Amino acid sequence: MTLFGGPFRWMWYLSGTLLIGWAVTLAVVPAARASSDQAQTLHLANAGEPQTLDPHRYNLRLEETLLNDLFLGLTTFNPAGQIVPGAAMRWQTSKDGLTWTFELRRDLKWSDGKALTANDFVYSFRRLLDPKTAASLAYFMYMLDNAPAVNRGELPPSALGVAADGPYRLILTLSRPYPYLAERLLYPTAFPVPAHQIDAVGDAWVKPENWVSNGAYTLQAWQPNAFVHLRANPEFISPVPIRNVRYHPVVNEQSAYNRFRNKELHAIGSFPAGELETARRQYPDSLRMSDLLSMMYLVFNTRHPPFNDVRVRQALSLAVDQHTLTEKVLRSGNRPAHSFAPTLIEGYTPAKIPHFNQPYAQRITRAKQLLAQAGFDQNNPLKLVLRHVAGIEGKKVNLAVLGMWRQIGVQGVLQQAELRNHFADLRQGNFQVAWAGWVGENNPEHYLTLLKSDIGNVNYGRFTNEEFDNHIRAAQREADLIKRNRQLHIAEAAVVHHYPVIPLYTVTVRRLVSPKLKGWVENGRDIHPSRYLSWQDQLALNHNVNVRLSR
Amino acid sequence: MSGYLAERSLFALITLLFVVTAVFFLLRLAPGGPFDGERALPPEIEANLKAVYHLDAPLHHQYIRYLGRLVQGDLGPSFRQKDFSVNDLIRLGLPTSLRLGLSALVVAVALGMVIGIAAARQPGSAADILLMAVNNISLAIPTIIVAPLLVLVFAVTLSWLPAGGIGSVQHFVLPVTALALPYTAAIARLIRGSMVEAQTQPHITTARAKGLNETRIILRHTLPLAALPVISFLGPTAAGLVTGSVVVEQIFDLPGIGRYFVQGALARDYTLVMGVVVVYSLAILTFNLLVDLTYGWLDPRLRVG
Repeated sequence: MTLFGGPFRWMWYLSGTLLIGWAVTLAVVPAARASSDQAQTLHLANAGEPQTLDPHRYNLRLEETLLNDLFLGLTTFNPAGQIVPGAAMRWQTSKDGLTWTFELRRDLKWSDGKALTANDFVYSFRRLLDPKTAASLAYFMYMLDNAPAVNRGELPPSALGVAADGPYRLILTLSRPYPYLAERLLYPTAFPVPAHQIDAVGDAWVKPENWVSNGAYTLQAWQPNAFVHLRANPEFISPVPIRNVRYHPVVNEQSAYNRFRNKELHAIGSFPAGELETARRQYPDSLRMSDLLSMMYLVFNTRHPPFNDVRVRQALSLAVDQHTLTEKVLRSGNRPAHSFAPTLIEGYTPAKIPHFNQPYAQRITRAKQLLAQAGFDQNNPLKLVLRHVAGIEGKKVNLAVLGMWRQIGVQGVLQQAELRNHFADLRQGNFQVAWAGWVGENNPEHYLTLLKSDIGNVNYGRFTNEEFDNHIRAAQREADLIKRNRQLHIAEAAVVHHYPVIPLYTVTVRRLVSPKLKGWVENGRDIHPSRYLSWQDQLALNHNVNVRLSR
Repeated sequence: MSGYLAERSLFALITLLFVVTAVFFLLRLAPGGPFDGERALPPEIEANLKAVYHLDAPLHHQYIRYLGRLVQGDLGPSFRQKDFSVNDLIRLGLPTSLRLGLSALVVAVALGMVIGIAAARQPGSAADILLMAVNNISLAIPTIIVAPLLVLVFAVTLSWLPAGGIGSVQHFVLPVTALALPYTAAIARLIRGSMVEAQTQPHITTARAKGLNETRIILRHTLPLAALPVISFLGPTAAGLVTGSVVVEQIFDLPGIGRYFVQGALARDYTLVMGVVVVYSLAILTFNLLVDLTYGWLDPRLRVG
């Protein structure tokens, strides 16, 4: 009896029928289909699924990437990530730093062809701070006059310090000097949203079929967890070389790496650190490493004995060797950090931790002395729990730190939690020593204020130091950028001797970018608006675009 | 029969209510909330957010409110995917999960039956041992290992198929293979075991004695009996497969509802997790009912009056 004849014939009929059924199922059950013009589409990896494309409700860096393609704020980035005029041609600041006057471009239009005026910006700032919008990053614009009160619902949105003077002039009034305003306006919280469309369709304005925006691209389609497809906005102030851009959310670095290697994606944001050497060999033309404005650090709970004792904090700080962490443990290009404000910040000199260039052996000896003075020795060793975010990289770093502390007789254990729980616990002060990270702006205040006593629960360690607070307050009264940064340096220099945190390293972003793409410039903000990108074989077209722009 | 159906449906509704209630309160026990993240929120902003999503009301109010909307088929807004309602998300994600799950189910049943029946023809023969050995290996290796291997070989090395995402039928080949493999093996084992056992049943011996030909015996008498354990296995399996495979969707970047479950749970997106739970429960209850009805059809001894 064979497998193919006699009583088995029916079996093959049955499986055949089932397999045909499967093919029919595949054909019938609808799933999102690829757009027709795939040849020109730029496929980019995004670090995850955006939670919203409403610029006033956004909360994540991966949403900023998309929103920068969809909208144009008063200020914007050039390809190198520097601040340049956007919807505003120029602006000026009053002497006291409290009044900012923006002169808008005359050719601004929404993607539906309607003219965009200063009133759209007035509407947008009011909407951002209206409690009904429930914008989680509304506090980004709390420097606007009356902003916190409006956001609490104590004053009407019309009380906000924003006004239009004719169709092309916008006036922002601040409650305190804020010389970094041009930078803060880069964030999507300051992007204009189409009042006329929101009035017409309400919250559904963010749906692709209702979409109206003023950026280089508009929202064409959005299939959650699959892609967000953007198409060139015909009304944008200058034409873009690449007309279709598709963002693919990739949940893990390995999958992004596989899809790049299989030529399914043109650029990916990150890939597994272990593949760095392979990538250097196999994709030398594609590998792009850039330092990110960021700070990874350990924070002490200064309310929790013995970490309220500066000698203990100093000892633990002395024993951490940042170079070993980045060069021997992580080996993924990250830069060792010796100050809380990153060295990458332009126009600011960070104050380094006092022992940063001491020989390590000397530091260990000093650390042991300090611990002994604080009452810890072999019979009574310091025991601690070091908390970190679950993940291989976090585990590696923090295990290495425990190893360094063991040299000075400290017995530590690791405790990990998923990101959300980790930071929830940090904010509630449920920890002894913990790993934390901050990706911030090109301004030292953004980092240093995390140590201010009245900043709230982002001062995870509940660190308080009156001298530091006073220096920060003095800086915040200063409208002149250079003077302000100088004052901030004084504040940082005052705080390093108290060791509230141990700076570890700044993040280096590992990207792979297809050599077919032109116009990709590495920068500290790791921002690469699609409108500046073009295909290598498209140079001729690109040239035309430049000619038109310069006219 | 209709009385039986009504009774079963009533029990299904009670089960659903129980599941919804348990999950609703269990979710709130998890530490952290939907608006916790790396950046802390000023208290006034947190208050605004909670007000918009009615999270400032007492828990039992929130529960009653949720049930009220659920009865009307409204699964509520998603806390995480702010631009979509949970209904939207399930409508967008379910087709992908259905495609993947149904495809894997069909492949698994078709291949599993062929392998199982072939092995059961001569228990203990070389063919049987070889088939079952291959089978056990594919049952033992978890999808989390098989899937990346498939990607490495067929996408990264050979470049025959895409490594992830959707857009064409090719995108489904690797995920369906990875998902179907363990189920194929499980079904083959079940079929083989019950075929061997069914062949010793008295009524089969009687059929043989009456001189019926072998094809007719297998089709009319052995297979219906041998299929029973497979059918009961298929009930919950089918429910699980069509409502999304978390691991396969994750590895192949497929936008199904299995991933919502993980993302929703991690993000404390209460309504999204509840929505997936409701869909999953409905699928299980439906498939179990179908299984019970099929039982009666295949084996007259189990028919309800």
